[in-house]
Amino acid sequence: MSSVMAPPIEIESIGGGLAFEVQERSGASPMRCYQCAKCSSGCPVAARGDLKPHELVRLVQTDQRTAALSSRFLWECTSCQTCATRCPQQVDIAGMIDALRGMSRGAQMASPGTAVPIFNDIFLDAVRERGRIFELGLMMRYKLRTRRLFEDAGKAPMMLRKGKLALSAPQVGGKEEREALFGRAAAGGAK
Amino acid sequence: MSYTFFPGCSLDGTAKDYHRSTLAVVARLGLDLPELKDWICCGSTAAHSSDPLLADALPAKSLSAAGGSTVAVACAACYSRLKTANHHIAGDAALRARVARVIGSDYDGRTPVLHLLEILCREVGLARIARAITRPLAGLKVACYYGCLLTRPPEIANFDDAENPTLMDQLMQTAGATPLDWPHKTECCGASFSITDRSIVLDLGNQILAMAQAAGADCIATACPLCQLNLDMRQKDMESSSGRRYNLPVFYFTQLLGLAMGCQADELSLSSLVVEPTALLAAKGIGR
Repeated sequence: MSSVMAPPIEIESIGGGLAFEVQERSGASPMRCYQCAKCSSGCPVAARGDLKPHELVRLVQTDQRTAALSSRFLWECTSCQTCATRCPQQVDIAGMIDALRGMSRGAQMASPGTAVPIFNDIFLDAVRERGRIFELGLMMRYKLRTRRLFEDAGKAPMMLRKGKLALSAPQVGGKEEREALFGRAAAGGAK
Repeated sequence: MSYTFFPGCSLDGTAKDYHRSTLAVVARLGLDLPELKDWICCGSTAAHSSDPLLADALPAKSLSAAGGSTVAVACAACYSRLKTANHHIAGDAALRARVARVIGSDYDGRTPVLHLLEILCREVGLARIARAITRPLAGLKVACYYGCLLTRPPEIANFDDAENPTLMDQLMQTAGATPLDWPHKTECCGASFSITDRSIVLDLGNQILAMAQAAGADCIATACPLCQLNLDMRQKDMESSSGRRYNLPVFYFTQLLGLAMGCQADELSLSSLVVEPTALLAAKGIGR
């Protein structure tokens, strides 16, 4: 049994704009939470994270921007929606986490060591370029970018043998139109 | 009812077996399932955790091309993204206008989206499926595994009971198998963390496989490419990390349904399964 406890979270200030910003971005209502922790009881990754979902909501309520935006939990959440489904106060915690991920990256506070933001970028680049995901190409790019070249090295030959890997990349037409679509989305769909 | 099929990216790669077995089953049922022309990726978790507008616009782009047909979906993740975009766009006029500017046409968020399980159970109906069963899966104990995104969140998915769905169980029962009552039907498999942090997937997969085994399952039935891939392709890794031994074949529900309808192993791509089902099927006298 390990007796090492996580360090206490330093409180910056009480009350402030983080909850409003999260609500504005996601439509979630973190101020409704009364800390029953039902979300954390069902969360598949609560046991491994630096935070549990109800703790994250509390950090948002109390405007703890640094602790919330730099939390590793943001990048270990599997987006399984169990928290949002079971919340008696209908706090869309999963939606709140999506908003916090965006804010975390925007503030360059994403937890070091997570490969999720890199994966997300490579994934969306691939959608923009080809319209669909070519799994083999996605994996190669991801491995090169993260330098995890030999992780799961045995899986590719096995999957090829099993006929589980497409060898040619799909390409949906309208690449220029898709580039423009991504550009307009990045601009927020402004008039 | 006319359908147009949104297979999703996985069904052309790691889930080719889901694709083939789906087409084999619908052919036996005389159901027409033409593919939606020029569909694009739903954006998956990468989009919704990066840019909420893009996450609604990518599905809207595909759904607006469906021309009034019901969009039939095989992948639970695509299903979730398409339905979520519909929910957002239909309920928010300002968002609808922004999405229209992004995709270049007005989409009202009302193209119906159904998962294959809903179409088979509720629209084709169990009676018609029962008539297509020629080789019942007698004695096969199946743990039906739905994963996260078919049922959650229920106000958007509106699929079945969020905590205890039974659509796949009903199909397996109709196919002559014995669906098991077990508590991990909607637990999460870890999805794409298989790539970014596989320790999450090994941990969650071990819990799911151990529970299926404890419930007495001969095999697992899935309805999502990520669920299937994680539990099947990583099952050996899960065994190594936990010291347990499972040897539980992880089928797509369409493969089991196809077997019960008399399809050949080849039509169902059974050879793509990593955990070999041959011994199990032979022991139960299935597929002969």
